[in-house]
Amino acid sequence: MSLKKYDGLQSEIYVPITPQPVWAPVTKELKDMKIGIATAAGVHLKSDKRFNLAGDTSYREIPWDTKSDDLMVSHGGYDNSDVNKDINCMFPIDRLRELAKAGFIKGLAPVEYGFMGGGGDIEAFTDKTGPEIAQKLKAEDVDAVIMTAG
Amino acid sequence: MQRAIESVGIPTILIAALPPVVRQNGSPRATAPRVPMGANAGEPHNVEMQTGIVKDTLKQLEILDSPGKIVPLPYEYIAKV
Repeated sequence: MSLKKYDGLQSEIYVPITPQPVWAPVTKELKDMKIGIATAAGVHLKSDKRFNLAGDTSYREIPWDTKSDDLMVSHGGYDNSDVNKDINCMFPIDRLRELAKAGFIKGLAPVEYGFMGGGGDIEAFTDKTGPEIAQKLKAEDVDAVIMTAG
Repeated sequence: MQRAIESVGIPTILIAALPPVVRQNGSPRATAPRVPMGANAGEPHNVEMQTGIVKDTLKQLEILDSPGKIVPLPYEYIAKV
């Protein structure tokens, strides 16, 4: 049986397209890993410039030994009340420091990263902000990154 | 962001409150505790829950062997709105 073919024929129904998979293999054990944090939750130092709640593709650097009381959130896309009570809800820096002390991981990356996710200029995030943060993490020999987003 | 970091060879894992969104965006590795958006890593000041979520999430780095998996985690926090 032969089927009729129409070049370029496509469904009129919108079909969401999931991007091609990306995958970096894990080569070390957790106890030997330096872990970084990257969060889309809009976390930054209280002394830093706030994110523009109407849309912002910039990011903020957070040194690994920052006190959690010196951190805050500016993000217009979710209910901030939990994270205002305890930054660890979205940025578990105290928990990671405890895990490093206990030897579960080797340590934290020297710098963690906060940005304001949840939409906005996706192109800028994909082409600029994302690669910039990725390069910085690579330059600092970070072994793996834990993220909060979505 | 997760994909950008993964593309330079650094493995990543994401704690998600909205697993369908994460799946749609092509996250390579994710965990999903039962939490509201804004408390992905657990209830405020609940050190035990937060430690559990972070530990179990990191452990998945050693366990997962192919992209696109979202692992449910047995923690639940319902925010009082």
